Amino acid sequence: MNIAARPRRTLVGAGIAVALIIPALLSPFDQDEAALAAITAMLVVSVVVLSGYVGQISFCQFSFAAIGAFTTGALVDGQGWSFWLAMPVGVVAAAAVGVLVGIPALRLTGLLLSVLTVAVALFFDRFVLATDTLPAFSGGSLQWHPHKPSLFGVQLTGEYGFYLFTFAMFLLVVLLVWNLRSGKAGRVLRAVRDSELAAATMGLNVTAWKLAAFGLSAGIAGLAGCLLAVANESVSAGSYDFLHSVQLLAIATVWGVGVLTAAALGGAFFVYGPELLAKTPLSAKWFSLILGAVLVAQLVYSPDGIIPKVAEDIRHALHRRRGDASMPPADAPVVEVA
Amino acid sequence: MHVLGGLSLIPTFTVSGLALGGVYALAATGLVLIYRVSGVLNFAHGAVAMFATFVAYQVSQVMGLPVLLGLLAAVVTGAVLGFCIEYFTIRPLMGRSPLTKVAVTIGWLLVLQTLAGLIWGDTSYHGAIRVVPQGGFKVPGIDLIIGYDRLTIFVVAMSLSLGIAALLRYTTLGAAMRAVADNPATARLWGINVNRVTAVSWMLGSAVAAVAGVLITPLINFDTYSLTIIVIDAFTAALIGRLVSLPMTLVGAVLLGCAQEWPTAFTSNGGFAQVSTFALVLIALAVLYRPSVGGAKLRTRVA
Amino acid sequence: MALLTVDRVSKRFGGVFALQDVSFEVREGEIAGLIGPNGAGKTTMFNIVSGVFDPDDGTVRYGDHDLHGMRPHRRARMGIARTFQNLQLFGRMTVLENLMVPVDAASQRGMLADALRLPVARFEEHRAEERARAMLHFLGLSDVADSVAGALSVGIQRRVELARALCLRPRLLLLDEPAAGLDVRETADLAATLVRVRDRFDLTMLLVDHDMALVMRTCEHIYVLDFGRVIAEGPPEQIRQDPSVIAAYLGEAAA
Repeated sequence: MNIAARPRRTLVGAGIAVALIIPALLSPFDQDEAALAAITAMLVVSVVVLSGYVGQISFCQFSFAAIGAFTTGALVDGQGWSFWLAMPVGVVAAAAVGVLVGIPALRLTGLLLSVLTVAVALFFDRFVLATDTLPAFSGGSLQWHPHKPSLFGVQLTGEYGFYLFTFAMFLLVVLLVWNLRSGKAGRVLRAVRDSELAAATMGLNVTAWKLAAFGLSAGIAGLAGCLLAVANESVSAGSYDFLHSVQLLAIATVWGVGVLTAAALGGAFFVYGPELLAKTPLSAKWFSLILGAVLVAQLVYSPDGIIPKVAEDIRHALHRRRGDASMPPADAPVVEVA
Repeated sequence: MHVLGGLSLIPTFTVSGLALGGVYALAATGLVLIYRVSGVLNFAHGAVAMFATFVAYQVSQVMGLPVLLGLLAAVVTGAVLGFCIEYFTIRPLMGRSPLTKVAVTIGWLLVLQTLAGLIWGDTSYHGAIRVVPQGGFKVPGIDLIIGYDRLTIFVVAMSLSLGIAALLRYTTLGAAMRAVADNPATARLWGINVNRVTAVSWMLGSAVAAVAGVLITPLINFDTYSLTIIVIDAFTAALIGRLVSLPMTLVGAVLLGCAQEWPTAFTSNGGFAQVSTFALVLIALAVLYRPSVGGAKLRTRVA
Repeated sequence: MALLTVDRVSKRFGGVFALQDVSFEVREGEIAGLIGPNGAGKTTMFNIVSGVFDPDDGTVRYGDHDLHGMRPHRRARMGIARTFQNLQLFGRMTVLENLMVPVDAASQRGMLADALRLPVARFEEHRAEERARAMLHFLGLSDVADSVAGALSVGIQRRVELARALCLRPRLLLLDEPAAGLDVRETADLAATLVRVRDRFDLTMLLVDHDMALVMRTCEHIYVLDFGRVIAEGPPEQIRQDPSVIAAYLGEAAA
């Protein structure tokens, strides 16, 4: 977000404090949900990496997550591996598939590429993850049930403990992506996004970098998948289907694909939204409908996402109060793409 | 896999494949029409078709009215939905990036999908809408029975697809649509009401998708999710036509349908149909798309 | 010694010859110009040299290397930089970031070093920023360092694009209509800047433009194209008086 460094750090610090304290006060069930929220937030980050940096909409993020999840299931439940060994394997596998998907995708651009990712998602849903195809991977007719890992002998089965673990992983991913963004990779990817032609003539191997972005995005999704597998302690193909990827995209767009931290809040929204709905006369099933409606409404009225719009409104209000004449013009880009 | 036994089943599955391909062709035609005239890739295409089909189901199976009335209800629903999407949520976004407009259609996908699930239940199996009675005829000479329904589906679907292509080429409306597809600003200068033509393209494209949805019910699992997804399969047919060429889209659709049905002759794992689908997509990409500095460019409308 | 040698290059588009049997060379350290009326084939020639596409016939040599089939990013790594007629800045990035991109491209470190903020990453980052700032200072752009590139005036954007190309540390700099969109005063400034840049960085430059003022002022050797062929070559004074050149340009409404 395009706000000064010090207030931002305070906000982030406050956010982390809230995220640590509040779940400690919740019921175990809600703490489980909190872990899922952190994992979903990580998935949103994977979307941000691809669409925010490379400008591509991917409909198969959950397929990459599935690779991580099923690898974890197959190795931890099927082969008795430790989670700590299975996780890197899952992440690397997902990243590798991401690069593979990137290769044909490089011949395409924009919307055509999105259609390809749809085909990939459906391919995964109906073939790769189908029970009969690769039982060694998908678990066949019995699902995998990987148990939660233990760290230094301490079992992470405690709900709050596990939540801390997932939240820590999420923060780690955010930190890594943030460092990338502020450094060479961020500049390079944004350059490719702004003008591929100029980027190439400046010496950038555009192909290699795009593939790297795919790999990174898929790897993050894969990591989320590994965590999801042990969070639920079961892995079922239906949880990683095309529709989930669509919902993820909707969440990421509503909360502002370009804003890293705001997108993370989308994760909480995704998990707690249905929860809250269940307490109203409407059932939790209405969540997708409301999500879709909010997405449409918001795009028509404020395409950059709710959070940037709110931030902008706050800035306007603050500057007006201070009588500050140095506000940038209203149509200047407010959201710095993360 | 029983190869020899499989080969003898090829004709039967070719018939199914052609029927399926016909439906894909129809759905893809609607998609390409909408895309070319309004520059928006309508990811809610499948959901619109699905919703309209369930309206037809409601009219014909639940309310007991004649099937053709149900079909009519579906067509009207499709057209109305198409209009609403364009008029209320796409037109206000004129001038914005194509990705924004696509995101809107994603929102509609979720809304329609969930709404249908809430109204009609999301996992229940619904009796197929049979526009044509069952039964078939035997083809003399080979061991093949062609079902009337599959034949009708193929004929109706292909006729409508070719009809749309003919409309584009030979009618005034079609000419107007092509003008808008090429350059809306210029079309406006020629006195063409771009907004109206765009709305009509959405209504027509969605109506055609609705027919595809109704036609396909005997061939697949008829529930809210599968139906949406099947029509999204039509996207891959459109991919083969590069979202521009209608003839190539039809060819791609028929190939897709057959590619999905043939493996069933050899193996009971339904998933293998996806391998051929995906292989088809990859081959199409390799053959039809040449990488340029910016990647294969998708023509998008500027205004 | 010729740094760039174009030898009997031809290029067809459909049935039309954009370039026919074009030969010229650019000697090391020289500022050469390629001029001609609209449609003469200058842009096509330029695109061939910068690697956007290959010629149908003939060769382009850079030093000892045949550039055939070499993609733009590899040409950049070999020291060929270019600017764009229609400006291809990284519009949503700041000016400083724009200049750091070519430096980034040359650095070897991968994503991991950045992600973990390893010392090598921080060191290279610092150095890249220093180089960029030095270049900005040299071209008088220091006060727009943190401005978003796309929001600046055309004159400043052209200078930013020049600065960015220079950050590649090229041996050969290709300039595609660098005066487009500039007024008389800005063009004069540009002419002086180009010579200053060439002297300071020991560059070789090839300038394509149809603004005669800029070309006459800056270039030491000029090649004139018309209808895809070279119709004249020589130093500016000679070209200025060449009857065939004048005739070619009289076919043009604009001067």
